[in-house]
Amino acid sequence: MNPAVFEIGKFARLTVIWLSIIFGAVWAACWAVGVFAPALINASGMPTETASLASEVLRALVPVVAVAVFIPINAMFMVLCERRALALFTVRKGPNRVGPDGLLQTAADAVKLLFKEDITPHGADAVMFTAAPIIFFAPSIIGVLPLLAAASGNHELFRSVNLPTGIFYVLAIASIPVVGIVMGGWASNNKYSLVGALRSAAQAISYEIPLVLSIVAVCLMAGTLDVVKIADQQKDSLLSWNIFGGGALLPYVNLVVAGLQGNNEQVQAIMQHFQAQPLGPFAAVLMVVCCIIFFGIYITGACAEVNRIPFDLPEAESELVSGYNTEYSGIKFAIFFLAEFTNLFVVCSIASIMFLGGGHAPLPGLEQGFTEMLGGILKQLPGSKEIFSPGWLINSLVNPSTVSQAFWIILKTYSLVIFAILIRATLPRFRIDQLMAFGWKRLIPLSLILLIALTYLRELV
Amino acid sequence: MEGFPQLTTWAQANVEQAVFYLLAVIAIPLAYGVVCDRNIIRSGFLLIGVFSTIAGLFILLSAQFLALAQIMIYGVGITLVVVIALMLTNPKAEKESMPALSIHKGPAIFVACFLFMCVYLALRSAENWPVKTDVAALSAAENLSRIGQSLLTNYSFHFEFASILLLAALIGAVMLAKAEPAVHDLNELSANEDKLKSSERADDVVKV
Repeated sequence: MNPAVFEIGKFARLTVIWLSIIFGAVWAACWAVGVFAPALINASGMPTETASLASEVLRALVPVVAVAVFIPINAMFMVLCERRALALFTVRKGPNRVGPDGLLQTAADAVKLLFKEDITPHGADAVMFTAAPIIFFAPSIIGVLPLLAAASGNHELFRSVNLPTGIFYVLAIASIPVVGIVMGGWASNNKYSLVGALRSAAQAISYEIPLVLSIVAVCLMAGTLDVVKIADQQKDSLLSWNIFGGGALLPYVNLVVAGLQGNNEQVQAIMQHFQAQPLGPFAAVLMVVCCIIFFGIYITGACAEVNRIPFDLPEAESELVSGYNTEYSGIKFAIFFLAEFTNLFVVCSIASIMFLGGGHAPLPGLEQGFTEMLGGILKQLPGSKEIFSPGWLINSLVNPSTVSQAFWIILKTYSLVIFAILIRATLPRFRIDQLMAFGWKRLIPLSLILLIALTYLRELV
Repeated sequence: MEGFPQLTTWAQANVEQAVFYLLAVIAIPLAYGVVCDRNIIRSGFLLIGVFSTIAGLFILLSAQFLALAQIMIYGVGITLVVVIALMLTNPKAEKESMPALSIHKGPAIFVACFLFMCVYLALRSAENWPVKTDVAALSAAENLSRIGQSLLTNYSFHFEFASILLLAALIGAVMLAKAEPAVHDLNELSANEDKLKSSERADDVVKV
C-alpha cells in the first residue's frame, strides 16, 4: 500500500479512538449526573421536597460537568492531533512511541508538566503572575455554555444555559483572555514577555472588529442573538446554512425542482413571487458571495484571536523566546497551554454553529431518517418503562435526535480544527506591521462594506 | 433558569442576597486598591476587576446585555488600552503618584464628600427617581430588543451624538500621532524607551 495512505489511515484511527474517549467520557458523566443520580435520589425514599430540589441541582450542574470533563481530555487530544497532523503534512512520523502508536503521548506530557517545578521569577509581581493563567483559562469554561445548548439541539439537560443574549455572551466572554495575557506578560518582569503581551493585545483588539462584524452579519440575517434559534433556522439542508446565504437560494432551487417535476401550479406560484422582486436572483447570488467572504473573515479573525500561526506573533519564538509565557513553568504553563487549545476548539464550534448549520445534517431527510431508525430500535427494547432495567438504562442514555446532532457538530467542528492545523502547516508567520496593516486596512473596511451590502441585499431577496 | 422551578425559587430566596454581598466584598477592596496602589499599572488591572464585579451586579439586576457590554467595552476594551498606554508611556508613575496624594489631600476629601452627599441625597429622594415595578416582567430577549429599538428611535440623537464625540476623539488622536517624527525615528524612539524601561525596572528590583 502507498505509505501516505497508510499514514492517513493511522491518523484517522487515532482521531476516531480519541474522539470516542472524549465524548464517551462526557456522555457518561452527563448521564451519571443528570439522569442516574436524580433517579437514584428519587428511588431512595427521601422526603419529596428535598429529593426534587437535589435532583434539580444535579440536573442544573450537568453543563458544567460536561465542560469540566471535556476540556482536559479534548486539549490532550488536540495537542496529539496537531502534532500528528503536522507530521503528516510535512512527511514525518510524529510522536508514535508512547502507548500503541503514540496514542498516549500527550497523557504522558500532561503528567510531566504537572510534576515540574512551579517557578516565580525574581522581581515578578507574584499575585498577578499567579492570577494571569486563571484569568486566561476561566473564560473558556464559562464562555462555551450557551454553545452547549445549540450543539445538543436544545436537549433538556442543556436548555438552562441557553441565554437570550447567546452569541453576544460568548463574544464578550471570549474577549477576556487577552487581559490574562497582558497581565502575565507584565507581571513576569521580562521584556520578551511584555512585548509578547503588548503584541497580543494589539492583535486581539484589531482582529476582534472583523470577527464581531462577521458574527453581526449572521445575527442580522437570523434576526436573533439566540444561538439555539440561529442553529434551528439552518436545519433544512446545506442551502439554508448561513455560509450559503441562510436560505437565499432556496426558492430558486425549489423552482428548478418544481420545473423538473412538471409541477406547474407550484412553478407559477413561485414565478409570481419573483415578479414582485425582479432583482431577486442577483441579490441572492451576491448574498451567498457575501456570506462566504464573511466566513473567510471569521476564520481569519478567529485564527488571530486565538494566536494561531500565521498570527502567532505574541509567542513568535524566533523573536521573543516564547512571548507572554516565557517565564511560566509547571502547572501554570500547562493551564496556558490547555486554554489555548480550548480557545481554538471554541472558535471552531462557534463557526460551525453560526455558519455551518450547527448540528444539522447537510442533506434534507438524513437527520430525520436516522432519528426515526434509532428511535425504532430503541422502542423494541424490553422493559423500557421499568426503572433501572437494561431497557431504561439504554433509553435514558441514548436520545436519537441528540446523537445525530452530536455526530454532525463533532464532524464539522473537528474538520475546522484540522483545517486550522492545515493553515498552520502551510502559511508562514506575518510580520507585525503586515499584521496590523492587513487587519485595519483590508479586513475591517471589507467587512464594513459587506455588512452594508448585506443589509440592502436582504431586502431585495 | 427555565425548567428548574424549585431551584429558581430557592435561589431567589437564599442565593441572590448572598451573591450581592459577595460581589460587594470583592468590589470594595478592589476599588480601594485602584485608588491606593502605588503601582499605577497594577491599579489599572484592579480597575478591570472592579468593572467585572459591577457587571456581576448588573446580572443580579437581570440586565444581561448591560453586564456583557460592561465587560466587553469597559473591562476589556477601554481599561486594557489605558493600561497598555501606561505601560508604554509612564514607567515612572509609581514614584510620582505619592506626593500628589499628600499635597492635594484637603481638596480631595472635599470633592469626595461632596460627590458622596450628591449621590446619597439623590438616591434617598425616591420620588425623584421613580423605580419601575413592571420591568421584571420583561424577559431578557424582549429587554434586549427594547434596548435596541429605543437606541435607534427615542434616543437616536444621543446615540449619534456619542458617536460624533468618539469620531472627534479619534481624529484628535490621529492629529496627535501625525505630529510625531517619521517612522524610522519612531522605531528608534521606542527601542530607546524599551531599554530605558527595562533598566529602570532592573534598578527597582535591586533596590527592593
